[in-house]
Amino acid sequence: MKQDRSQPLLDGGFWRAVIVMAIISAVLMYVVVVFPIDRLFLPEASTVSVDIDNLFKFSMFFGVPILVYVNGFIIYFAIRYRLKPGEPIDAVGSSIHDHPTLEAVWTVIPGVLMVVLAVLSYFIIPMYYPTGQATASAVTMEAIGHKWYFEFRYPGLKDSVMNEMHLPVGVPVTLEITSSEATQDVATGAVLHSFWVPEFRLKQDMIPGMVVPIHFTPSEIGTFHIVCAEFCGLGHSHMWGSVVVQSKPDFDKWYADQQRAEAAEAEGVRPISLQGGDASAGQTLFNAKCVVCHNAAPFAQRKVGPGLADLFDDPDHPDLVTGKKASPNNVADILEHGAHGDIGVMPNMQANGITDKDIANLVAYLQTLHK
Amino acid sequence: MSVTDVEHPASHIHPPPDTFIKKYVFSLDHKVIAVQYFLTGGLFFVLAGLLAELMRAQLMGPNNHVLSVATYNEAYSVHGSAMVWLVIIPVLTGGFGNLVMPLQIGARDVAFPWLNMISFWLFPPAGILLFASFLYGAPQAGWTEYPPFTLQMPFGTSMWCMAIFLIGVSATITGLNFLVTIVKMRAPGMTWTRTPLFVWATGVTAFLSMIATANLSAALAGLFIARTFGVPFYDVGKGGSPVLWQHVFWFYSHPAVYIMILPAFGIVSEVIPTFARRPIFGYKAIAYSSATIGLLSFMVWAHHMFTSGLQHWEQFAFMVLTMLIAVPTGIKIFSWVASLWGGKIRLDTPLLFVFGFLSTFTFGGITGILLASVPIDVHEHASYFIVAHLHYVLFGGSVFGIFAGIYYWWPKMTGRMLDERLGKWHFWLMFLSFNATFLPMHWIGLHGMPRRVATYDPMYTGTNEFVSVSAFVLGLSMLFFAYNALVSQRRGEVAGPNPWGGRTLEWMIPSPAPYYNFKDIPIVLSGPYDYGKPLPYANVSQDLATVPVH
Repeated sequence: MKQDRSQPLLDGGFWRAVIVMAIISAVLMYVVVVFPIDRLFLPEASTVSVDIDNLFKFSMFFGVPILVYVNGFIIYFAIRYRLKPGEPIDAVGSSIHDHPTLEAVWTVIPGVLMVVLAVLSYFIIPMYYPTGQATASAVTMEAIGHKWYFEFRYPGLKDSVMNEMHLPVGVPVTLEITSSEATQDVATGAVLHSFWVPEFRLKQDMIPGMVVPIHFTPSEIGTFHIVCAEFCGLGHSHMWGSVVVQSKPDFDKWYADQQRAEAAEAEGVRPISLQGGDASAGQTLFNAKCVVCHNAAPFAQRKVGPGLADLFDDPDHPDLVTGKKASPNNVADILEHGAHGDIGVMPNMQANGITDKDIANLVAYLQTLHK
Repeated sequence: MSVTDVEHPASHIHPPPDTFIKKYVFSLDHKVIAVQYFLTGGLFFVLAGLLAELMRAQLMGPNNHVLSVATYNEAYSVHGSAMVWLVIIPVLTGGFGNLVMPLQIGARDVAFPWLNMISFWLFPPAGILLFASFLYGAPQAGWTEYPPFTLQMPFGTSMWCMAIFLIGVSATITGLNFLVTIVKMRAPGMTWTRTPLFVWATGVTAFLSMIATANLSAALAGLFIARTFGVPFYDVGKGGSPVLWQHVFWFYSHPAVYIMILPAFGIVSEVIPTFARRPIFGYKAIAYSSATIGLLSFMVWAHHMFTSGLQHWEQFAFMVLTMLIAVPTGIKIFSWVASLWGGKIRLDTPLLFVFGFLSTFTFGGITGILLASVPIDVHEHASYFIVAHLHYVLFGGSVFGIFAGIYYWWPKMTGRMLDERLGKWHFWLMFLSFNATFLPMHWIGLHGMPRRVATYDPMYTGTNEFVSVSAFVLGLSMLFFAYNALVSQRRGEVAGPNPWGGRTLEWMIPSPAPYYNFKDIPIVLSGPYDYGKPLPYANVSQDLATVPVH
């Protein structure tokens, strides 16, 4: 067995490879720095989202050269030092098995980068996660996870707002986040949810029995998704809400509308007209929303709620879950106000995100299923 | 057992078993038990892989109805549980640990062959229980099974608890068995710094399995009791907390991440010097960083819970400890790459899989550092970014490591070579389709797609179609291996004792290894990786030279 000591390891080819990798790294690092996440990827719609994206860019900035050099050296060594045709089959390579300086370098540099990343992260956490001292917020409100919708409680509004949250731009908010079923028995009702607004770069699990505040300032006008990010059952895949960030005057107008609606409702219940219901529009809506919990099939084919095919003409089930007779008006009442079943909860019309017109369409559609 | 039975003279060799049952079913031979682990784990790999393909079929488009929502939830829960507990952990510890470790330390078997047999025989019932849960309403909340949702599920979730509990017992016993074997049964002269790196990795893994898995058993028992007897461990109204499960579960499951990767590190550390024909760079750094990672792995569990309402200072502490793990992991990766420097590299299939491992695992490590940072994690947690990250470390890391090990030790296990051309097809197809499957998931995750959903916003449709097609190709790439394995059993080239020219002890005996492994217990004179120097062993047959014949 011969040992090949003829080739020095730090030859011209090595340095050329290092330079090529340095150029590739520099190009990629430049792309990381200038890439406009906000315009080409996902809007930065809260003040803290900019800081979080900068932290992401910082990590990628130093992660990219590590990836380039690890992959680059594997490729370079595999080509440069492969056993060439004609070389003896028992040839062996360099016998260097240690290099303290080199090892110190690749221990210390990642260590230092980790310390810097930890320190930077340390200063960003309090920006969205109020610590000890009370954070100065113009609004403190509650977000509550339900199966499978989000409920928002505003100070000064008696009724909760379902699924669609409105916020004024540029006003600091503290959102107290929890899961609705705190008081329910864990064996039947309570589950985890998670409140995630990707454009805000913020997420907080909604945990039964825990109220966790997060703090942020919306910085862009627009409508953004709220996504449930913690598995919560059959409706999890569809548990979407939205947050509407508005200018201060628009927000004030919306808020005043809510107050007026509450006042009107206090005076008398507003009946929903079932006139002019469009069965085909109702079918489209049914297949988009209702099928999560209901089949268009006989009662027994239940998911979370019963099958609804024979809703108005089922001799075994003449009454609705509310105890009232299965009539179009009583069904509309459930669609409007929701109901508690033995497995799950039927959310009300705000939580389901449907309008008066939608209710008329759905009732018309359900009547076509009536045979 | 009397004292005299324990003190066998070194020359005493038991005769091999003579009945089929003793030889192949209830075998005490570590090499047969290893094959049993490989076959059983391989079967579950196929089943869990098919579940993954079903999931990708469902996700070909939004509002698909390939599977119902409930079945989809069951599919990903059983897929994750099976891949972790029925494939990666048993194959890496029970499979490779049994096949290679006793041979590498020059022992005739593990310390407790009976325990070894029991460990294996806990494994098939666990797998059957887990897959049979489909008949009773399989678990739906993912492999993590967070309560309180899991308290409301049918009997299948209790079967999940029992199945994983059995696997936990099996892993604990194997850990104890391997730890005793490695500490007490290394050949004369094999000091800790002369011990092969795969044995180091298996030793640290055995320690983690023994200590951490007991905690998993506690967590599972808690969930089972809460479900069956209504004890309110997770009920806020009665003084419990849903977060309790998360702490106990992750106190096992983070060390488990290292149980799933350290043996793969060991495989990489064996393959590189053999195919680069030079000593491993930084032997001590690699060995001691395994031990460091093992210890640190117990102190980072809450980084899985940054959105679960931890205190600020808790988040900070777990973030710093998590980032600390990046340092010893980096040392390993840089040492492996440096081990190629100035070698005489033969690009055979095992080394290609190691290159695949290095490339994908480094990528998964970088995204892991991003996730360690609390503010970044608050955005990325529970999104498809996590799905991508965990597949880069568990598939790109562990599974690529497993295939490197299979191609490397197949000749020792069966006595025949696998076909190189098919192996290279397998590697390139698997490597490319793996990246095509999981790289785009980072993108849609950052873009706002959560994990564990049966449908999604139509804006993600294009990416999901691409991912699904890539996942089907990834599944097909496995056929190259299946065909290769079947054909090589009949037509494969006869391997001989040492086809790759390795220097560790398993290559100093015939292939497949005889029943008693070593006719005479070898004596170890120095470390195993000094290519170019004479073999560091006495009492081995020197005519089994270290010249690669392949």
